[in-house]
Amino acid sequence: MKASSKRSLLKAAFSAMLLGFIGFAAPGYVSSPPAAATDAKEPSANKTAPVLDPRDPGSVIYLDHAGKPAGVGDPSRPPSLAYKKGRGWHPEALTASDLPKDKFGLIDWAKSVRQNRIAPKPSLDPDEAADEMPPLKMDVLIPAKSDYVNDVIYPHEMHTYWLKCEVCHPKIFIPQKGANNITMVGIANGKWCGRCHNRIAFPLADCNRCHVSPKKASESAKSAAK
Amino acid sequence: MAGWNVFVLIAALSMPTLAGAAIGDIRLDDKIHSMEKAGVGPVVFPHGRHEKLYRCVDCHPGIFKDRRGANDISMKSNMNRKFCGSPNCHNSRKAFPLYMCAKCHTNVRAD
Repeated sequence: MKASSKRSLLKAAFSAMLLGFIGFAAPGYVSSPPAAATDAKEPSANKTAPVLDPRDPGSVIYLDHAGKPAGVGDPSRPPSLAYKKGRGWHPEALTASDLPKDKFGLIDWAKSVRQNRIAPKPSLDPDEAADEMPPLKMDVLIPAKSDYVNDVIYPHEMHTYWLKCEVCHPKIFIPQKGANNITMVGIANGKWCGRCHNRIAFPLADCNRCHVSPKKASESAKSAAK
Repeated sequence: MAGWNVFVLIAALSMPTLAGAAIGDIRLDDKIHSMEKAGVGPVVFPHGRHEKLYRCVDCHPGIFKDRRGANDISMKSNMNRKFCGSPNCHNSRKAFPLYMCAKCHTNVRAD
């Protein structure tokens, strides 16, 4: 073919290759706003940093009505509305204590109990306190409905340390094996375990704290073969 | 006639550009039997929504092999800090947590 048409063909091929190269490489670089912009804000610690030790009567553990640390913590001269309303305590008093924490930074009450760090009264009513039942040692295996997720082992002992039977039975859990059709969706919506966990007790985001018992290998192999 | 050849050449060499630029929603339903037992439907993963937030290298190939079917994703692996449940992703404060089924799964059976 003619020299000039060969040149124009080469020019066209070169520009097409350039286009193709940019097309492959550009998407990797164009969309890159830093992920830091979407970070959730970390809760900021108390900036004035007073001494926070619940065991020390001289430490600042009371807040005034504006939410700022009030006075120097002299209980005989309470300056704060919170104190007048019934001994409101500084929300950071707990986190400043050296109770064990879990991976979310929340206080791990189960560990605190097992390490005997706390000794709560069973009841404010002395008669009820005398009738106190010891914690029930009974683990319940709750199988997970899917083929892969570990089964749940529910420990009665840790729960009955805090709660009496009537708190859960029968309003939240029917006390019969197989009688409660528990689903994770229902739990996330506040039923069964979700009545307390995600509200008072540790959050549902801590999956492996409940799902501890692996399925038997034969079950997951069966479904993988399907 | 030479002009027509040139046009075809450019079009042929640019096809990969048009094909690889945007990946749409990816349907994850390998383990559909297990999902149905748990009361949820298949996952529809919005790749485009994640493309807006991250670079390719943030996930590929370190967290997800970039070939369909190459990643054995299960809810258990997510809970064990792999794939979607990576420590900087849906197992952290940066994104919603794993127990919110309806955020990823379609047809979540509300009990």
